[in-house]
Amino acid sequence: MKLYETVFIVRQDATPNQVETLAQDYTKIIRDNSGDVAKTEFCGLRSLAYPIKKNTKGHYVLMNIKAAPEVVKEVERQMKLNENVLRYLTIKVEVHDPNPSPLMQQKNFNPDRNRGYDDDQDDLLPTAMENA
Amino acid sequence: MARDNERNQERGAPQRRQFFRRRKSCPFSGEGAMKIDHKDAKTLFKFVSERGKMIPSRISAVSTKKQRELAIAIKRARYLAIMPYVND
Repeated sequence: MKLYETVFIVRQDATPNQVETLAQDYTKIIRDNSGDVAKTEFCGLRSLAYPIKKNTKGHYVLMNIKAAPEVVKEVERQMKLNENVLRYLTIKVEVHDPNPSPLMQQKNFNPDRNRGYDDDQDDLLPTAMENA
Repeated sequence: MARDNERNQERGAPQRRQFFRRRKSCPFSGEGAMKIDHKDAKTLFKFVSERGKMIPSRISAVSTKKQRELAIAIKRARYLAIMPYVND
């Protein structure tokens, strides 16, 4: 049994209920195969950084999974088959983070307002590179 | 002004003035450092240019090890449409 973290994006036309049902379906698959879902986060409708299949927004769902690799593979297969799921990404993690993910906290984050990694060296950023 | 001072110094005793800047430490190493997370757009956006390109570690002072992690995190965030591939 290994720990995984899955994020998937459901297309914008889906209702929150549909999204929840989808997550429950996947949870059921995992539970039926002696795995467990530690946390499911519905991050709501977020705007995408670029359009995916003509969707400009999407429902983000994060799941912390503990399961065998085969089970995760099956869940990913299901996601691939479902047309409502635009994207999914599963990564293996060492520990699950029980706190709410940053996805939850910063809805529709605007990068222009929080520019600069550090104050004093901003002017060193080569502008020539930007235009390249 | 500063230039004049420099010239005066050179006239007195030939002294090589070097540009000295304190080496900044890696923002992801040490205690209380930021965590690299592909879901954390706010942190990741600090390490890309306005165009959405990653900033070289020699400018952002991220350590080599952490820069590798950061690059992976940014690429994952791009795939999940949390960050743009190209920002224009």
